[in-house]
Amino acid sequence: MWEVMFWPIAACVLLPWLLVYLGLHVVQRGIIFIDIAMAQMASLGICLAVLFHLDLQSWTTFGIALGFTLVGGAIFSVTGKRASQIPQEAVIGISYVVAAAAAVLLLSRAAEGDEQIKQMLVGNILLVTPLEVWKCFALFVAVGVFHFSLRRNFLLVSFDRDGAYAKGLRVRWWDFLFYAVFGLVVTSFVRIAGVLLVFSYLIVPAVCGINLATRISHRLLIGWMIAWLGGIAGLFLSFWWDLPSGAAIVCTFGALLILISFIGLWCRRRLTS
Amino acid sequence: MKNSNAFHLHVAAAVANRFGRRPSRLSRRTRFQRAQAHSGQARSLRTRTGKMPISRLLASLLFVFAALASAQAKLKVVATLPDFASLAREIGGDKIDVTVMAKPTEDPHFVDARPSFVVSMRSADVLIDGGAELELGWLPPLLQNARNPKIEIGKPGRVQASQGIRLMNVPTNVTRAAGDVHALGNPHFMSDPIIAKAVAQHIAQALSAVDPANAAFYEANYKRFEATINAKLQEWGAALLPFKGQNVVAYHDSWPYFAHRFGLNIDIFLEPKPGIPPSPSHLAEVIAQMKAQKIKAIIVEPFHDRKIAEKVANATGAKVVDFSQFPGGLPGTDNYVKLIDTLVSRLAAALK
Repeated sequence: MWEVMFWPIAACVLLPWLLVYLGLHVVQRGIIFIDIAMAQMASLGICLAVLFHLDLQSWTTFGIALGFTLVGGAIFSVTGKRASQIPQEAVIGISYVVAAAAAVLLLSRAAEGDEQIKQMLVGNILLVTPLEVWKCFALFVAVGVFHFSLRRNFLLVSFDRDGAYAKGLRVRWWDFLFYAVFGLVVTSFVRIAGVLLVFSYLIVPAVCGINLATRISHRLLIGWMIAWLGGIAGLFLSFWWDLPSGAAIVCTFGALLILISFIGLWCRRRLTS
Repeated sequence: MKNSNAFHLHVAAAVANRFGRRPSRLSRRTRFQRAQAHSGQARSLRTRTGKMPISRLLASLLFVFAALASAQAKLKVVATLPDFASLAREIGGDKIDVTVMAKPTEDPHFVDARPSFVVSMRSADVLIDGGAELELGWLPPLLQNARNPKIEIGKPGRVQASQGIRLMNVPTNVTRAAGDVHALGNPHFMSDPIIAKAVAQHIAQALSAVDPANAAFYEANYKRFEATINAKLQEWGAALLPFKGQNVVAYHDSWPYFAHRFGLNIDIFLEPKPGIPPSPSHLAEVIAQMKAQKIKAIIVEPFHDRKIAEKVANATGAKVVDFSQFPGGLPGTDNYVKLIDTLVSRLAAALK
């Protein structure tokens, strides 16, 4: 079992911490589907590379994909106005469907082997290689350091937007910086773990944390526990019952969230009584 | 067998014992456990083997390991697709254990990896794959993870079914701009029974190389398979002979070998390019062609969008024929010969 599951478990231990942290931002900002929109933007970039017959593993392709996520980041930071009639989530949803449909159109013209593109975009956590895990870990550490050193402004922009405006921060620029880095993290994790897992790692631990605690540090700690527990338990279940690993982890997260909600409810009852 | 049952009884007894001794500590026992503990069977087991000496338990454990070891003496064969698995069973009989990765109703281009795939590939003695890029999207990462030297390309434990087979429709340039085209040629070669014979022979040779003790057995099974196919070919050929030269439409270009073998033309596809969903203008073109050539049948596989085929069939008066490349993909097709039987009779019925 260990031979097969070691690297998937390593990936589930070494990588989710950053996603949980970013997830707290994402949930606080109320832009839940931004990760899927970003991943779709990146895949649109790759479809464009396909149209021009570029090598899918090349840096040019990576650059194009990154460029598209930056465009996405720019769109989201420009539309995230302070008092807009249109909720940010609407813009995110529209970006997602348009990017997805545009990818279909591009592919119908260019028509590279669909399976290669899928393989390139959507990884399978079961089949991660040590190199992929270490590369992703290095990137996450770099992003983590970046976020940590600028944590005050990032937290202010996400958690206290009015305060950020009052302090005279250039909120749009901070938003863009956040989205750009976020896009990089999401697309690199999607490539090794798939879309379902990215979404779950971002949202479920953050929601559990918010359910049980009020301080950001406590939420983060709870989120990390949940992420580790859900990931490792999900992988074990996937091994024992021979299930697709990504989906098994996501469903474990679902079960954990239900459990945590009940615990949260019970704690609040005790507090009020 | 008898002894392994005895072992099961021992374990059941040990389990029953455990529950029997510790009821008070399990404050909320499940209904199942309660039923177990209270059932007469469990009680009698407990009294019979209540003081089972450890040595006896160990002995029975040992026996089971020995039994498992003898079961492991069977050659472990992993096949990527169900058609290869079916041939492997024909050749290997009870001397091999066959694990197949893709389900017969699954699109062979896209298969979701599960942990057992890696596990079985790690311990495999023989791996049978198409070798023609059909499994390109999912087999390479699995192989990389399995790191099993026995099934590396070039080793006797690796059967690449397409080896030595002249593939059809090899593209002249390899930009793949023409759609999901496979650079080595069309990889759906198993629908030609004569090619299947060649693949079976290849499998028999590989099994003999890895397990020389049973070489005669594999060879005899191959001979039998060959004879069956030869006899069946007459039957199949006769059933489709009245339709020689007829045109048939397919959703995906999976049938050039079948068409070639039985004298049909399957050159019009609902997909504008392999792997690309049909566009309205392309469907209109297909409908016009079908009307002009009075085409009577549209072949679809379980993982294709049948609604599109039905729409075209409604517009043209043709019949939708459910086909499968894989044994098990249609009811009553648990082996290769039965599959071709079904395909031939279904198509003949639709073309009548």
